[in-house]
Amino acid sequence: MDLQTLILKLSTHWASKGCLLEQPWDVEVGAGTMHPATFLRVLGPEPWRAAYVQPSRRPADGRYGANPFRLVKHLQYQVVLKPAPADVQDLYIESLVALGIDPKEHDLRFEEDNWESPTLGAWGVGWQVLLDGMEITQFTYFQQAGGIDLAPITAEITYGLERITMFLAKRESVYDIEWAPGITYGEVRRQDEYEVSKYGFEVADTALWQTLFERFEAEAARCLDAGLVLPAYDLALKCSHAFNILDARGAVSATDRVGVIRRVRELAVGCANAYVASREAQGFPLLPKPASEPARDEAGNG
Amino acid sequence: MAEFLFEILAEEIPAGVLPAAREELLARATAAFAEARLGGTLAVHSTSRRLALVGEDVADHQRDAEAEVTGPPASIGYDADGNPTKAATGFAKAHGVAVEDLRVASLPKGAYLVARKVTPGRPANEVLGEILPPLVEKMTFPRMMRWGDGTPQWIRPVHSVLALFDGLVIPMTLFGVESGRTTYGHRTLAPGRIVTMGVSDWLQKLRAAHVEPDLAVRRARFEELSRALAAEVGGEPADDAALLDTWAHLVESPCVVRGSFDPAFLELPEEILVTSMREHQKMLPVRAGGQLAPHFLAVCDQAGDPKGLIARGNEWVTAARFSDARFFWDDDGKTRLEDRLPRLGNLQFQEALGDYLKKTGRIQDLTEKLAARLGLSHLDGMLVRAAKLVKADLVTDMVREFPDLQGVVGGLYARRDGEREEVWQALYDHYRPASADDGVPRGDVGGAVALADRLDTITGLFGLGLAPTGSRDPYALRRAALGVVRILLDKKWRLDLPAACADAAALHGGLPRAKDELLEELSAFFLERLRFLLESKGHAPDTVAAVLTTACPDFADAAERVEAVEALRKEQDFAPLATAFKRMQNILEKAPDEGAELDPAKMTDDAERALALDYLQARGMLDDLVANRRYRDALSIMASLGPSLDLFFTEVLVMAEDPEVRANRIALLRSIRDQFVRVARFSEIRG
Repeated sequence: MDLQTLILKLSTHWASKGCLLEQPWDVEVGAGTMHPATFLRVLGPEPWRAAYVQPSRRPADGRYGANPFRLVKHLQYQVVLKPAPADVQDLYIESLVALGIDPKEHDLRFEEDNWESPTLGAWGVGWQVLLDGMEITQFTYFQQAGGIDLAPITAEITYGLERITMFLAKRESVYDIEWAPGITYGEVRRQDEYEVSKYGFEVADTALWQTLFERFEAEAARCLDAGLVLPAYDLALKCSHAFNILDARGAVSATDRVGVIRRVRELAVGCANAYVASREAQGFPLLPKPASEPARDEAGNG
Repeated sequence: MAEFLFEILAEEIPAGVLPAAREELLARATAAFAEARLGGTLAVHSTSRRLALVGEDVADHQRDAEAEVTGPPASIGYDADGNPTKAATGFAKAHGVAVEDLRVASLPKGAYLVARKVTPGRPANEVLGEILPPLVEKMTFPRMMRWGDGTPQWIRPVHSVLALFDGLVIPMTLFGVESGRTTYGHRTLAPGRIVTMGVSDWLQKLRAAHVEPDLAVRRARFEELSRALAAEVGGEPADDAALLDTWAHLVESPCVVRGSFDPAFLELPEEILVTSMREHQKMLPVRAGGQLAPHFLAVCDQAGDPKGLIARGNEWVTAARFSDARFFWDDDGKTRLEDRLPRLGNLQFQEALGDYLKKTGRIQDLTEKLAARLGLSHLDGMLVRAAKLVKADLVTDMVREFPDLQGVVGGLYARRDGEREEVWQALYDHYRPASADDGVPRGDVGGAVALADRLDTITGLFGLGLAPTGSRDPYALRRAALGVVRILLDKKWRLDLPAACADAAALHGGLPRAKDELLEELSAFFLERLRFLLESKGHAPDTVAAVLTTACPDFADAAERVEAVEALRKEQDFAPLATAFKRMQNILEKAPDEGAELDPAKMTDDAERALALDYLQARGMLDDLVANRRYRDALSIMASLGPSLDLFFTEVLVMAEDPEVRANRIALLRSIRDQFVRVARFSEIRG
């Protein structure tokens, strides 16, 4: 199976389960969780179901296009279900069936793997899903985001698209998988990987990124003061990206590190609180209207 | 009498919490059944998705509870004619007994009315419905989760509750789930609903639905399958009981697949391959003829792998992991360890104690000071080299990928860089002993660097006031201190530990805690580890106490004294010596030290002269023996003074009227006591 078929099949599956097909966020993020469709939507009482691809960047994982498994830029397929339905694991297994994986013939296990993001003030509990020993998905029940205890609880399902494609096609290098019939991932992305690695490790102007961090931070604070949640959050994401570049460049000393993470977290916490206040002021518009309350999910068989 | 079955089906429960959860559930349930007067024998079962209790011989009804209640005094309860008064009828009514059934009991405070109250037992079914939910809800896990609307809280979401007593459903609600007689089979192999009538029915139907609820059966099956699969390729599974235990908690249907990898990977160091398999993939390596074979055994939650799909998937993952490791091995090799040192400046050791470059500097200085104290200065060049490189592997990709291999990776890289054997082994070993079963660093260079590293960490963190408290020991300082003690004892290194701690504290400079207070706290902390270690070696706690209550700056020496006392105790009764020592202690505690010299001319009593004579004869020998640490011989001589001491205490009044005579007797006892406590404080020894 090629990469885009995988994306299409996952989208079709999750759309059929009531997910809104969101689009990738247009600011650099380290993971699909940072997309506002996850980080902000998990807050407050409103229900939400969305699925989307999120290109993610991790400058420190750069390997100049030489390592068959590690990428700066990679793709995550993210599903958020709020509140998490009782049969969420079954829905997930159905998505594998949609990919052509027969769970009766493979080994499917949910092994404990909890998640924590100090920069987002967020943590969750869950598993890594192993298919024949290969980690194909992170499955997380969000417990807290932006320092706020969550209720109801959201289930977040994150598929590593390149890895799943590699595994299904049994390719030994990410660059050998097909993105679309007749064209490989390497042909589309290898040069990018070389360039972003070289930039992150050798070229990035640390003084500039240091300045950018501080200015984005100040601008985010200004937006929060002005009650503009999304612009503030975008700028917080920019700070996080600036931090990642500085970190990859080895320009964040150990002692700074804790301080910088705390500064980004303060922005994230500010955005989370402002978001909840804003939604509340709007009367939590996505809450079901009392007349048309949907039937509760039945406790399924897991 | 009837059987009892209780099963909670949840989403996958972390393997790491299951052992404690099983114990906790069984202990709580056993206590609750006893308290509820139901009796019975309980057992616990579990899988990756279930926790269950099975009971036999549980009472159908609670035993009736009987209690006696004391009422008013008999004098008030009955009138002069012996008829019950209002006080008696009121008391009887209040406790639901007939007034004729009251009796008069003579209590220490006088004659009182007593009612015998019987609380009739309730049906077990009803009682169990009340006691089971809180039992489960109150279980504690290291990391709880909330689900649904955010209210229920347990280790993972609960899907069904099966509760039967004598075949009938015990009604209850747990986390919003109503109990019943249904459960479900294996998640992928037989996910259907199962209706159960009782324990044996449950076991039989679960097994048919690919769920083996008995942990021991799964564990045994894994062992058997692993052996068989390894034997097919002429090998045997690596010996790893802990991993098999984990496997047994990870599945409902125990199954093992064997896979192979390209033998070319065997060029990589075995440590890396094994760690990759075990830690990253929970795979059991296969060995043949003592060597790692190009095969592995992987756990799966399945009935089998007829098409080989699972084995192939695991092979692919293993190849990917190994390629990754090979990439790191090759790529890290482009930079010598020595050239990595500046990057340690970016790696924080502890906020207030600085980065690893600073720590490395301190380890180097402390290693040199230790070498001087230990008489290892001839190793100086290698010690300095090892101390300099010891933390450099923390800034390699390999250690970032395999944190458990810190130290080992440094050793392997140093060997590749051409460092001398003592040096690379020192790096390789310096985190040892990692556990109670692990050995200490092989060479003296490794031992010295390992000591310096730990003393620096422990002293620094104590100096910041971050000593462990109760069960909280986030920096694993107890283990680090135990490591120090083990190295000193195993290497028989005569180190003045408090002095070494003072060296370490001085190198930190500017620690917030006051130095004297810090060193005192450290001494007590290390002594406690020493006591723990000696007792866990099987030495009697009172022997250990007898030695550790004397001055013990040198732990190896203290251990030798403990062994000597223990050895001699097997041959000789120390009780008389202990008694005599206690008497000496008691007298000396009350007597002021007048600084009198022992003077034979001032002796007035035969028993006194006899003791002094025996002791003065022994003293020279004792000095010699103790100086040469021939503690067994010294102890024999000390014990031989027992009869003279006994006689002295029987016949001589130490606190004589004449101050000079008294001071002389005290001086004699003080001298003997001081001589003895060079080996042990015998007053601690019990019988």
